[in-house]
Amino acid sequence: MAVEQGRPEVSSGSGGVLTRLGTWTENLSEQAYAYLLLTPAFVVLLLFAFWPLASAVRMSFFADVITGGNLGEFVAVQNYVQLLTNNNALAPAAFVDLSFQTPILEQALFMTVLFAVLSVTGETLLGFLYAMLMKAEYKGRRLVRLLIILPWAIPIVIQGMIFFLLFRPGYGLLTEPLQQIGLFSDLPLNTTFDSFVIVTVADIWKTSAFMALLILAGLESVNQDLYEVADVMGASRWQRFRYITFPLVFPVLMVAMLFRTMGALRVYGIIESTTVGCSTVPSMTCLVTQMMFGSSTLYGSAAAVSVLIAIVVGLFITVYLLFIKQSNQSLGLA
Amino acid sequence: MSIDARDHEDAEVFDGSGDDADDDGDNKSRVARWADDWIKHPEKAYAVMLVFLGGVLLTTSLFPLYWLFNVAMAAPGQTDIPLFPATVDLTAFVQVFQQVPFARFMFNSLFYAFTVTVFVLLVGSLAGYAFGRLEFRGKTPLLFSLLVLSFFPPATLFIPLFRAFNQQVPMLGLFTLPVELYGTPGAVVTPLSAFTMPLAIFILTTFYGQIPDGLEEAARVEGTTRIGALFRVIMPLSAPGVATAGILTFITVYTEFFFSYLMTGNSAAEWAPVVDGVLAFQTQYTVRYDLQAAASLIAIVPVAILVVVAQDKIISGLTQGALKE
Repeated sequence: MAVEQGRPEVSSGSGGVLTRLGTWTENLSEQAYAYLLLTPAFVVLLLFAFWPLASAVRMSFFADVITGGNLGEFVAVQNYVQLLTNNNALAPAAFVDLSFQTPILEQALFMTVLFAVLSVTGETLLGFLYAMLMKAEYKGRRLVRLLIILPWAIPIVIQGMIFFLLFRPGYGLLTEPLQQIGLFSDLPLNTTFDSFVIVTVADIWKTSAFMALLILAGLESVNQDLYEVADVMGASRWQRFRYITFPLVFPVLMVAMLFRTMGALRVYGIIESTTVGCSTVPSMTCLVTQMMFGSSTLYGSAAAVSVLIAIVVGLFITVYLLFIKQSNQSLGLA
Repeated sequence: MSIDARDHEDAEVFDGSGDDADDDGDNKSRVARWADDWIKHPEKAYAVMLVFLGGVLLTTSLFPLYWLFNVAMAAPGQTDIPLFPATVDLTAFVQVFQQVPFARFMFNSLFYAFTVTVFVLLVGSLAGYAFGRLEFRGKTPLLFSLLVLSFFPPATLFIPLFRAFNQQVPMLGLFTLPVELYGTPGAVVTPLSAFTMPLAIFILTTFYGQIPDGLEEAARVEGTTRIGALFRVIMPLSAPGVATAGILTFITVYTEFFFSYLMTGNSAAEWAPVVDGVLAFQTQYTVRYDLQAAASLIAIVPVAILVVVAQDKIISGLTQGALKE
């Protein structure tokens, strides 16, 4: 209430400028007003996103200078050619080896795509189950919802530490049984396959919570009347899921998967923080950071890798968008 | 086994349906009873399944955190952490604050998250209003440019930004940033605002676009300015959307580690984030896993509280339209 009383004084004191600004915006055309509103956001984006991006793309056309962190002469697409033909002798790992002499999991492109497919599939399935659990009505649902969402809010480094401690030989609980059944080797955090499994599991654990949140939103927005109609018609639980829930949640599911795929294709933090390390599980983003901060600075190649990442992500998104469009048409929603 | 006992068993078998041991017969009838009950009351079967599924899922979801708690209670330097702790020892949670200024590390991270959220909501609201409610040329290309930004890994943007902040390489080739900016919150808050802005703008655009024109016009007739209508009518009416965008931004910044970690020094006084606080228990020669675990659990508390307070808002916010493109 005190604020309400205080307001007239404040606005008469400093409101002069505001009022004048207000009147000025009144007289702008809709288009000019729109541009005015967009200016602050795009100034920030221009300086701290678009400019660095453009300068990284530019860097990708220049040769690497191993020391000093500078750029060499203009070499056009040579960096890209070297990366795609696996001819960059200084690269910490293969981006892609089309002769397939490098194991699949040691090639950044295939390793990352495989990671994205496995983790997004796992997260979607687990997320759907979580969402069903969050949707059902029972006592203590608020607590259950909180406990399910919680992993999503955990800082990446802490998530990494949890899984590092779980799988560290002689410390963690999970290593020995997995070694006994012959799945894991003696040093799981130094073996590519084992580390790949650990990183994937860690990612599924954290992000299925986020997935559940998005899917729950989809479940909640389904018109409840439809279920009543289904009940009257004597539909079974499975039929209700098959003919009402799933088709109506499907668009949300697609958007959620799209978001997660974008994230998974750029995976880096969890690899570094489980101390699995980029040398064991070389994801695409790993290559970028290794080339930038490694013993020899390969700015040109690093920038080229990140442009390639953007192209891969863009391709995946195009496929998703086409698929969403097509399924909307077949569902008659378009 | 005595003869008496066997006789007794036989007697039971004749009572039952088969010639197996009595255990099995009993189970069958119990299962049969359950089955009958569940066929008559399918809701009951569903409830049992739900409890079972819920138990399994919650265990999966919470086990890693329980494990972390377990590690925090172990003695310093202990290996082979058991599944159940021998003693309940919470001293690690106190030691965390005594050995390093952990509260300051947490403050730094919360400060970043809060500042970025406020800034992104303000600036993003203006843009969201323009995208959601106004017609102008170049709308689709501008929106698309926001999407393209998220194709690139944040690492890509790091080198040019690092050079701009740290080596005074001119931005856009036009002007340099002041030397003093590096090592201050400004060097973290500005890039992180730029990274979290696109998603916030997308969410706000959807929400602001859904408000009926009539409500805004009514406010305008009452004498509110255009800007005033945004902050007094559109934003309050889109509260769940604003909350969703805000919480997503807050959690993204709080859990982020790339920029806040690399753009600052290592000590709390140099605005290092909570990540550095956790890693501070790891020196070249010793690692105190118990303290790291305790510190991690403490670092989760603020976001856990946020999730408790805001879970309904996030869910209703996402439900009402953030995902309906």
